[in-house]
Amino acid sequence: MSLAWFLQNLLNGLSIGSVYAVFALGYTLVFSILGIINFAHGAVFTLGAYLTYVLAVGEFGLNGMLAGVTLPFKLPFALALLVGAALSGLAGVAVERMAFRPLRKRGADALLALVSSLGVALILVNFIQYLFGAEIYSFPPDILGDLPPAMLFQVGEEFVAVRTIQAVLFGVSLLMLLLLVWFIQFTKRGKALRAMAENPETASLLGINVDTFVLGTFFISGVLGGLSGTLIGVSFGLAGPYFGVSYGLKTLAVIVLGGLGSIPGAVLGGLVIGLAEAFLPPDLSSFKEAVAYALLFIVLLVRPQGLLGHNAEEKV
Amino acid sequence: MLELNAATLAYGQATAVHGVSLHVRLGEIVTLIGANGAGKTTLLRAVSGLIAPKSGSITFEGRTLRGLSPDKIVRLGLAHCPEGRQVLASLSVQDNLELGAYIRSDTAGIRQDLDMVFDLFPRLRERAGQLAGTLSGGEQQMLAIGRALMCRPKLLLLDEPSLGLAPIITQGIFDIITNLNWQGVTILLVEQNAHMAMKIAHRAYVLEAGQIVAEGNAQELAGDERVRKAYLG
Amino acid sequence: MEDFIARYGFLFVTILQQALLGLSLYFPLMTGQLSLASIGFYALGGYVAAIMGTHPELAPLRETLGFFLYPLEWLVALAASTLLGVALGYPALRLRGIYLALATIAFVLTLGVVVLSLPIAGGAVGIFAIPQPFEDRLAYAWFFGPLLALTVFFLWRLERSGTGRLFFSIREDELAAAAMGVNVTARKVQAFVIGCALAGVVGAMSAPLLNTWNARQGTFDAAVACLAYVLIGGARSKWGALLGAALLVSLPELLRPLKDSRMILNGLVLVLACVYMPQGIAGLFARRRS
Repeated sequence: MSLAWFLQNLLNGLSIGSVYAVFALGYTLVFSILGIINFAHGAVFTLGAYLTYVLAVGEFGLNGMLAGVTLPFKLPFALALLVGAALSGLAGVAVERMAFRPLRKRGADALLALVSSLGVALILVNFIQYLFGAEIYSFPPDILGDLPPAMLFQVGEEFVAVRTIQAVLFGVSLLMLLLLVWFIQFTKRGKALRAMAENPETASLLGINVDTFVLGTFFISGVLGGLSGTLIGVSFGLAGPYFGVSYGLKTLAVIVLGGLGSIPGAVLGGLVIGLAEAFLPPDLSSFKEAVAYALLFIVLLVRPQGLLGHNAEEKV
Repeated sequence: MLELNAATLAYGQATAVHGVSLHVRLGEIVTLIGANGAGKTTLLRAVSGLIAPKSGSITFEGRTLRGLSPDKIVRLGLAHCPEGRQVLASLSVQDNLELGAYIRSDTAGIRQDLDMVFDLFPRLRERAGQLAGTLSGGEQQMLAIGRALMCRPKLLLLDEPSLGLAPIITQGIFDIITNLNWQGVTILLVEQNAHMAMKIAHRAYVLEAGQIVAEGNAQELAGDERVRKAYLG
Repeated sequence: MEDFIARYGFLFVTILQQALLGLSLYFPLMTGQLSLASIGFYALGGYVAAIMGTHPELAPLRETLGFFLYPLEWLVALAASTLLGVALGYPALRLRGIYLALATIAFVLTLGVVVLSLPIAGGAVGIFAIPQPFEDRLAYAWFFGPLLALTVFFLWRLERSGTGRLFFSIREDELAAAAMGVNVTARKVQAFVIGCALAGVVGAMSAPLLNTWNARQGTFDAAVACLAYVLIGGARSKWGALLGAALLVSLPELLRPLKDSRMILNGLVLVLACVYMPQGIAGLFARRRS
């Protein structure tokens, strides 16, 4: 239980926690304006990872419809990341049109939208499997270029290692978070988004087009999903098309813990869960998944509005 | 300027407004009075596009408003200051006002109008950075009106501006409404406080159970026996 | 003929089994609650039967009981599911809507991970070589068939009873029901527990059928599949689950090219049902009749 041990776990936790936060924000944005959980977010996360892989590595895997196909180009990682994220944004928009818009127009119950998004998630994930195959995709170790794999810092008698990929995770996530906060707090469109989240009717009376903003929100949400998916994929490998689903379910714990609909809550929740996972004793590591799920369950029973959320009562 | 013709409005199966026809001419203050539940708010919501009429027509400057979404109607020059004020509580006073000018892009003009609103409502200038949710009822009403003004509307729809406000404050608000009209804003005012509304209006309509039962010059109508007994007693 | 029975026998039994699982979802839906927890109880029931069937320390019991081992498994599963269902239901059913759905999903997921690590449940590999009462798969219809018939009969009576009406009144308008003096939470728990208990028994019956039982039995995918049956068949009718199960289980089997697309099909069903047919197919019928 030395300082080095503490710092190491702290760094690990912050790095993974920040990615969880970015991923969670995708859920939170949609929830704040539509009051629904978009289960397809996990699928977009997966899609983003696969797309970026293909763009950066230039070829598909050995199974699936597109087995062995090679692209005539290979993008540098940063560019692949951006393009992958943008494409994920478009996927998010497609999800909205498929699963949510028809229900929204009908004023349907939020649960129906949840189930519908579940359906889309299944379709999407299985489609990914169809194209890419079910095998594990691993980013090549030199994907980030010629950077050293890790940096070592001496703390007392021991060393604390910061893997380069961890620094990238943290840096990109932080950047994304700051951008998002700037957008929401300080730009006209961001304020319009907040207005919509609070009172869509009044917002429309001010000239804010609800449909456009919903689309925009899903685009941003998709970008966040694809980005975080890629970062996790680079860090841990793409363990099959369902890997995003399990992160997606885990991230439900993040948003409920932080408070559904609360942006700072999503960040806080992400960091808490990331740290909880990092500090989990190694012999309990098989329970890592259970940590998030159990936390989700407990929070829902004890304090459904989470740490920073508003009232948890359904809008009657 | 604004014309409703035989407009019938319903919520699901329940008809709230039956075949109402009314009009507002450029430069007028027209008031629509009636008891709670008479359908006044429903009418305004139909004009601003929040509800679709079951039948009948609504036109503004010759253009039909039916089928247009509220954000498009605002861009035609029609601002709706809704019932219950509906300020955006989680945003600051200034943010609320600036969002009022959402459809505009002329930064200089917006700045000018913001100053004008602050001149009109000095209390808002004091509280510019505060969250709108922390304002008092009267201040929120001022904010709602100010916000509606920020888009430089040709026609302003006001829904029960006096609701829940003390008489002195209400008088102040009505003075401001009169002022605005002098400056060229056409106003359709829905009010339960018939007494004050008819004092400042040019023409009035009386709505009962979704139908117009009386209309005409506001002063004359105020003198009408039936109206006096029912609404001004 | 033998081939036909062999191939379609299992299909038939699976339809019966999945219909039952769908019905276990239907009970909480009668009170307007979307709960996926019953899938977790299905897994639990299966583990009960699996452990009772294979655990070395219970061998003497198995010898004495012979065939009666199976009904005992069902009873134990029923008891365990009911107790756990009540323990879970009371705190969970104070939640509504999305929060309840999430809580039940969390329950299923947590359970899934927990059983992976319990040695008695066989870890990731699970339990296998579970004793089977019948050689022929179709014979399991003698288990599931009567249970299904019983459940449908029970539902038929329930829907006409005072309790059933209370359930529906809660579904229509919870606040109004509460205002009229209905103990809403108790009723919701009641419906919830019945669903869980049913799922537990189905699980206990299914373990011998499948011969092995592991953490893949109580997964999120399974929960989604059951949801699909109910939605496509009609969330407002007890026939819904049966119709939905029949359709969604048999379609991939009967249409060769669709065989691998089982999950896509389920997903598609969910979306289309929600968007175009919220009342499901059974609901369509009801509309035509009136």
